[in-house]
Amino acid sequence: MKPPPFLYARPESLDGVLRLLAENGGDARVLAGGQSLVPLLNFRLARPEILVDIAMVDELSHLTIEDGGLRIGASVTQRAVETSAEVARLCPLLSKALPLVGHLQNRARGTVVGSIAHADPSAELPAVALVLGATMTVRSASGDRSIPAEDFFLGPFTTALEPDEILVEVRFPGKPSARTAVKEIAPRSGDFAIAGVAGRLTTAADGAVQDVALALFGVGAVPQRLPEVERLAAGENVTPELLDEVARITRATARSGSEDVHADPAYRARVAGELVRRVVEEMAA
Amino acid sequence: MTARPTHIGAQVARVEDDRLLSGGARFAADIALPGMVEAAFYRSPLPHARIVGVGAGDALEIPGAFGPFTAGDMTDVSPYPDFDEHARPVGIFPLARERVRYAGAPIAVMVADDRYRAEDACDLLDVDLDPLDPVVTTDAALAPGAPLLYPDWPDNVVIGFPVDNPDANAEFDGRMAVSGRYEVGRHTGVPMETRGVVAEFREGRLTVWSSTQFPHIARTMLSYCLPLDENDIRVIVPDVGGGFGVKAEFYPEEVTIPWLALRLGRPVRWIEDRREHLLATCHARDLVLDLEAAVDEDGRFRAVRGMAVQDLGAAEMYPFGYSPAFTAIGHITGPYRIPHQSVGLLAVATNKTPCGAYRGFGIPEATFAIERLMDKAADRLGIGRNEIRRRNLIGQGDIPYTTSAGAIVDSGSHREAFEETVRVTAERVEHWRAVLGDDPGIRVGSGVVNYIEGVTPTYFMTTGHWTAYDSCSVRVNPDGTAVVSVGVSTSGQGLESMLTTLTAEALGVRRDQVRVVMGDTDRTPYGLGSWGSRSTNVASGALRIASDRLLEKATRIAAHLLEASPEDIEAHDGALSVRGSPGASVTWQQVATAANIRTVDLPEGVEPGLEAAATYEPPGIEHVPDEYGRVNAAATYTNASHAAVVSVDTGTGQVRMLEYIVAHDCGTVINPQIVRGQVVGGVAQGIGGALLEQLHYDEWGNPQSTSFLDYHLPGATEIPTMQVLHFESPAPAMPWGAKGAGEAGIIGPGPAIAAAVEDALSGMGVAEITRTPITAPYVLSLLPTP
Repeated sequence: MKPPPFLYARPESLDGVLRLLAENGGDARVLAGGQSLVPLLNFRLARPEILVDIAMVDELSHLTIEDGGLRIGASVTQRAVETSAEVARLCPLLSKALPLVGHLQNRARGTVVGSIAHADPSAELPAVALVLGATMTVRSASGDRSIPAEDFFLGPFTTALEPDEILVEVRFPGKPSARTAVKEIAPRSGDFAIAGVAGRLTTAADGAVQDVALALFGVGAVPQRLPEVERLAAGENVTPELLDEVARITRATARSGSEDVHADPAYRARVAGELVRRVVEEMAA
Repeated sequence: MTARPTHIGAQVARVEDDRLLSGGARFAADIALPGMVEAAFYRSPLPHARIVGVGAGDALEIPGAFGPFTAGDMTDVSPYPDFDEHARPVGIFPLARERVRYAGAPIAVMVADDRYRAEDACDLLDVDLDPLDPVVTTDAALAPGAPLLYPDWPDNVVIGFPVDNPDANAEFDGRMAVSGRYEVGRHTGVPMETRGVVAEFREGRLTVWSSTQFPHIARTMLSYCLPLDENDIRVIVPDVGGGFGVKAEFYPEEVTIPWLALRLGRPVRWIEDRREHLLATCHARDLVLDLEAAVDEDGRFRAVRGMAVQDLGAAEMYPFGYSPAFTAIGHITGPYRIPHQSVGLLAVATNKTPCGAYRGFGIPEATFAIERLMDKAADRLGIGRNEIRRRNLIGQGDIPYTTSAGAIVDSGSHREAFEETVRVTAERVEHWRAVLGDDPGIRVGSGVVNYIEGVTPTYFMTTGHWTAYDSCSVRVNPDGTAVVSVGVSTSGQGLESMLTTLTAEALGVRRDQVRVVMGDTDRTPYGLGSWGSRSTNVASGALRIASDRLLEKATRIAAHLLEASPEDIEAHDGALSVRGSPGASVTWQQVATAANIRTVDLPEGVEPGLEAAATYEPPGIEHVPDEYGRVNAAATYTNASHAAVVSVDTGTGQVRMLEYIVAHDCGTVINPQIVRGQVVGGVAQGIGGALLEQLHYDEWGNPQSTSFLDYHLPGATEIPTMQVLHFESPAPAMPWGAKGAGEAGIIGPGPAIAAAVEDALSGMGVAEITRTPITAPYVLSLLPTP
């Protein structure tokens, strides 16, 4: 469990980072908090030629408000976001989801953007990004592009990022009037989820559901929105019958492909239904 | 002449904690010697394969790398002797010869200036393996035409012990039979410190630092395997960060690293990493018990019969991996009056990591089976689950009670501990039902179980050695301080404190005058090591005899110095005084000075020196079972009752531990803090095995639990509040009446939690829980689909 040899660079500017990525192409990996990458190195499952540490890049350390939403730079730790009063006001779902990410020690080093770029199918933050309609700001030596969350996650540990690109920030639109909730099943406190769901919901004046977004994580290869459930619930009052239907449709439509030693797809689909029921019930209460 | 009982049962801090908790300890990984190189093993990536060849490949391009060394280079090494004539010989060799039988088996070793480079070199080796069909389950291993792990054998059975007891069978005539197939998962000890070996060969002597639980046995094994006499070998146990039985095995690396030190003429260090630990340190449990009971209409059990099938993995483990299965059938009736049993065993080789010792050692498996069967019989008969136990438990009037497995239960509080546990549990369940009662999806349940545990056992069933003894030597220095050296060794569990207390008790010296020496074959008398909840009993037995001899001599010297009669001398608090005359007193320093450096003060006929040695063979132990498996394999028997209180989320199957109650009886409690720590820690590990821990393999024999990402140990958040109630039934034949406390806690959680989960889900049509770990998917699979 010692990593193979690698070069290590710690540029002090974003240009320096981009230059190293351009020069090394697929042989370079960006190191942010290292909570996922370092174990992969120690198991020799990742063998990059060079690690590009972004800790010293000032341009990536911002946690700012713009147009009522959040901009989170690539080196901002999960703990900083978790404890931010501004984040709690603008994006309470992030504040609710972050305590579920690993343990406090992991969050003290791990970054929000790094977790999203890593795209672990059982991670919470990609689903939160999807539910909140986050936008990825991606940069390479040849320029910028923006990728909506729904187009970003392509498969397990696979995103729309090109080898010479870095995810410089994630923008979360602020929707403080929505209600949000996140629930997951994990074997132990701090574990990756076997199944989880993040949700956002607004209600009309009469209490009926106006708009709802739901995303599963841990269930399939990528975080999954549940459009059929969302359409079913829109305009409805949340009744026990509706919740049963919500759970049933979730079980039927969950792309439950994940199978590991902890749970099979059937368990994941069944629990996804139960968790969606609970999340919708909680948000509507 | 006895000293006043001033130390037994006192709340005193552990003497080793300063060192262990403040960073002062020195573990194997802290040892660095001039010129030392580090080793890394190339381990089989395949579960079953023929070794075609091992070439250096590009490995020697790594700066400072040497190797590869393989079995073919070990021409001066002998395989482990096969000590058990009843088992098929495995002929363990330190590095795989011709064939690998589990993923993780060491094939070759590389050394370099540091571990990083040694691993880089291993990465570049050119190893050619020819895959063979893997055997992954006992069913597959026993199937006709199954691939053979050992081609010379007719099948994959390592040892079979069929039992057919007509007295047991007769009890089934005309009685209700209740049966089940009970399966305890594959898990292991996972101490905080992994294994480590450092070896140096200088001036014709080999010194080995190893994180072992049995330094003297390790030295004996080394002399079997290496071309060295025991005199030429010194084994030192540095501080050890937990053992739990997995370090009471003698591993291939413990031969390979010393052999490398001989071969290279340089000190060599190998520190196991966690991935290696989960692959190559022994696994445990993985036992299936098919059990059937003949039960009277009033719930009284008359007989049990069945078979224990042990998945041994590759069987390349010494002490034997099948010994826990023997211990399981030796404990199959628990503390219940079940007159007859007929339970055999079959230990089968498969292409998985070899099984070996782990805290509990067969008793958790037996307890899971019999307690589950008790619950099943109660439910079948409509008798309460507590009531059926009440009708079967042995009581004071039965003691000494010989179980149908031949265990002679010498003492205990079986009924008292049970009733107290039932009482406390009922209160706690009521509390939790009130707290959680407003959520219909959360249900609360509890389960109470009982067990006995044979402690201080024979070594025969484990190693083939006909013995259970250990040893002690006590010496008093001229300044009155005492040095106690023993054959057992410590893994951090508090043996230094125990022996310090008992020495102070036996000699009447102060605790701060005692120094305990353990874990060094040059500085301690021969002994069998620390396992089987034996250390306190065997070491204190030898200590008692040695210190009595020493005290007799000291008393004669003191009487002479005080011009008193030896019968009037008593020792306490660092002094020897004339009883009833507080002023008439000499210190241990005065006595020891006379004995060692002022021998002109000795009375006539007393030899100089103040030192005594003794050995202790616990009484009453039998080594070999009879044809029905009956054997009194242990010196004394502890008992306990455990209760789990859980909640179950019926929508997800998640089990939450709410509270745990233990009424524990290990005889005389010498140090309450240590006993409580052992019980609480054991229960925590037991909860891990009951709910979380499983070493998974895929259908091709590839290990799936090779890091803590996939092997889930319980953390602080998974362990509930525990109530530990102490009962004290002194062991009549044991020194100080104490019984071992090291393993007990781990035995109860499996069946207690299984019963609690069933209780929580009662009325929901849930089938019996028959296996551990009881994961959320398993629980949900028992509930009706929505």
